[in-house]
Amino acid sequence: MAQTLRLALERALPQFPYRRVRLTWQWLAALPVLLIFGPLLPGLYWALSPAIEPLVWQRLWLDAQWPQALRSTLISSFLGTVLACGMSALLATLHYPGRLWMSLHKRLPLLLSVPHAAFAVGLFFLIAPSGWLARAIALFAQWVIPPDWVTVQDAYGFSLALALAIKESWFLLWVLAAVLGEQAISRQMVMARSLGYNRTQAWLHILWPQLLPRLKWPVMAVLAYGLSVVDMAIILGPSTPPTLAVLIWRWLTDPDPALQARGSAASLILLIVLLACVWGVHGLGNLLKQHQPYPGGQRKPTANGRGLPLHTPLFGTGYAVVAVLLLWSVAQTWFFPALLPDAVSLVSWQLAEWEPFWTTLWLAVAASVLCLPSVLIWLEWGPKRLNALLYLPLIAPALPLVAGQYATLLHLHLDGTAIALVWSHLLWVLPYMVLTLIGPYRTFDSRLMISARALGYSPWRACLAVKWPTLIRPILATLAVGFAVSVAQYLPTLFAGGGRFVTVTTEAVALSAGGNRRVLAVQALLQIVLPMAAFGLAAFASRWLGRQRRGLR
Amino acid sequence: MLNIKNLTISHAEKTLFAGLSLAVDRGEIVTITGVSGSGKSTLLNWMIGDLDLSFSATGTLWLDDLQCDTLPIEARHMGLLFQDDLLFPHLSVGQNLAFALPGKLRGAKARRQRVEQTLANIGLAGFHDRDPATLSGGQRARVSLMRTLLAEPSALLLDEPFSKLDAVLRTQFRAFVFEQIERQRIPTLLVTHDPADVPAGGRVIEISDWQHSHV
Repeated sequence: MAQTLRLALERALPQFPYRRVRLTWQWLAALPVLLIFGPLLPGLYWALSPAIEPLVWQRLWLDAQWPQALRSTLISSFLGTVLACGMSALLATLHYPGRLWMSLHKRLPLLLSVPHAAFAVGLFFLIAPSGWLARAIALFAQWVIPPDWVTVQDAYGFSLALALAIKESWFLLWVLAAVLGEQAISRQMVMARSLGYNRTQAWLHILWPQLLPRLKWPVMAVLAYGLSVVDMAIILGPSTPPTLAVLIWRWLTDPDPALQARGSAASLILLIVLLACVWGVHGLGNLLKQHQPYPGGQRKPTANGRGLPLHTPLFGTGYAVVAVLLLWSVAQTWFFPALLPDAVSLVSWQLAEWEPFWTTLWLAVAASVLCLPSVLIWLEWGPKRLNALLYLPLIAPALPLVAGQYATLLHLHLDGTAIALVWSHLLWVLPYMVLTLIGPYRTFDSRLMISARALGYSPWRACLAVKWPTLIRPILATLAVGFAVSVAQYLPTLFAGGGRFVTVTTEAVALSAGGNRRVLAVQALLQIVLPMAAFGLAAFASRWLGRQRRGLR
Repeated sequence: MLNIKNLTISHAEKTLFAGLSLAVDRGEIVTITGVSGSGKSTLLNWMIGDLDLSFSATGTLWLDDLQCDTLPIEARHMGLLFQDDLLFPHLSVGQNLAFALPGKLRGAKARRQRVEQTLANIGLAGFHDRDPATLSGGQRARVSLMRTLLAEPSALLLDEPFSKLDAVLRTQFRAFVFEQIERQRIPTLLVTHDPADVPAGGRVIEISDWQHSHV
């Protein structure tokens, strides 16, 4: 019926070149997105072209820091990704479907809203030689001074790998939960089990072969993040030499053009490593597909092991991170073996620097609010085939992109301005917002729009009056996601802001080098508070709207 | 014999049905009808072992002398057929059937032979390596039923299995299903809202019989 109605509508429209109008519309709809992405292209050329010189590569090769930097980057990003994949896959296989999986799913958004930098700071407070974990052991081991162990900022990047593994496993669990929420997938589990296979077998033979290809890009995003992460690496990674990403960032911001060129060349290496991995994973997938054995029909008895509380350390770390930050922010004195502060006071909060907080707030509000119309217009009229291009900033290492943005801003003499700062955030805010909204947008009942148009509304007015108000709840969630993404940005703020803007993220990372844990804890908590408040506000407004109109999803 | 004894299912204080008891003999097809939302699917989900966690149920389920309601899905030996064929999209047509075939038939060659024989029996000879997505609705429905039967279930649960097929196909497939069930002598519970789906002379149970008067 929908088809007939649409055809009737198109016929009823006056005779004008409908197709050409639609094409123009598509490009108009893509305009805001082009404004965000377009200036990046010349910037990428300017930023990366110094790397064409063979001499640059030779110098990079001979650089004393680079082999170790590459080693710690590869270890932290690969180990982090593999562990994150392993933990999330194990939890899903053990607990889906079941009560525990549902409760894990419900707790994920809270953990996901903890920004990377704040998480790294909290984890540092947990696992450092004088951290909470060591204090807990000290209770039994009768330690009076912190052990002489390297548990953070180790030369190989193991502690950074651990941080990435925990943080990203929440993200992968969340992606898995979204896929498993689809009815087609959950019913296949029931079908496979009704044929006599236990849950583990059903996962192995039916769910994983179908889910793995779909999880490829989220996993690549995790790897790309690990390869080019700078904020977490400064807090938890090795220092002399640092990880490659940190080294690249230093080179790129060095006044010496030769070092800048070395930074461009090295950032290309990150890109090459990622591309090699994409290619390798693709090949591995094909190999697995070809060597699938013929189904042998062996049923195994129901496995026990669901009772294993494997999720406890994973989720417990998240809560402990926030708890230890809270304690440090109110601690007056807190000497080593004590599990709790010796004295508490609100001094750190009273003396806290609030400027980063307000900068972060207006920046994140501006970025998410500016992005929303672009996202809506893109999803409604934009060229759908190009969606994949929008996601590129999520699966590419951030460093070359940030360097490109910076080069563009330098050429336009806009570096260090508020406009530049907001624009630099949009490149990551936009794709995350599209990603959040695209699902609800696709499942929107198109007959509602046809009804509105049949009542005489133009496409534009039908969107304003019907479609977008109907989608208000997912739109609120999308705004909150955009806000949170902006809060967590580190590199774009540093580069585009030209050091003139300090956000809670840059402030927390800068403070992590100093010794004052109280001040650091306050800034890290402020970084957590902002996205949580955004998600909380969105959820509250969403619930209120849901109560007014129960048909809204 | 499939036996439901004194089943009560409730959801958030509201009782869907109470004291439902039902016995289905080997080869018998009992039809359960009721308006939509009456709890037909909930009943089936309980029998499968996949009742949503928000429901609570009391009562027992028996297959001959085996009590099933406490067993996990995979130990119940209940064959399922839904209105969607639910063929596994990453496997070929033949692999879908081989997946259901019991493990006692060993060796890839022998298993493949058996699967090809089954496909030939249902008029789909040479379809072993086809992608299930390229099959017509009627073909997929037949493969789906054969997959369920190859696993040698002790009982069959059919949830509106004909509702997505068009009229001609529907009559054909219905006859095909009933013939297969007759041949394998499996107790079967059929859930439908269409009176035309009821097999000739079969027992029909209206779910509302357990809903108001007995509560």
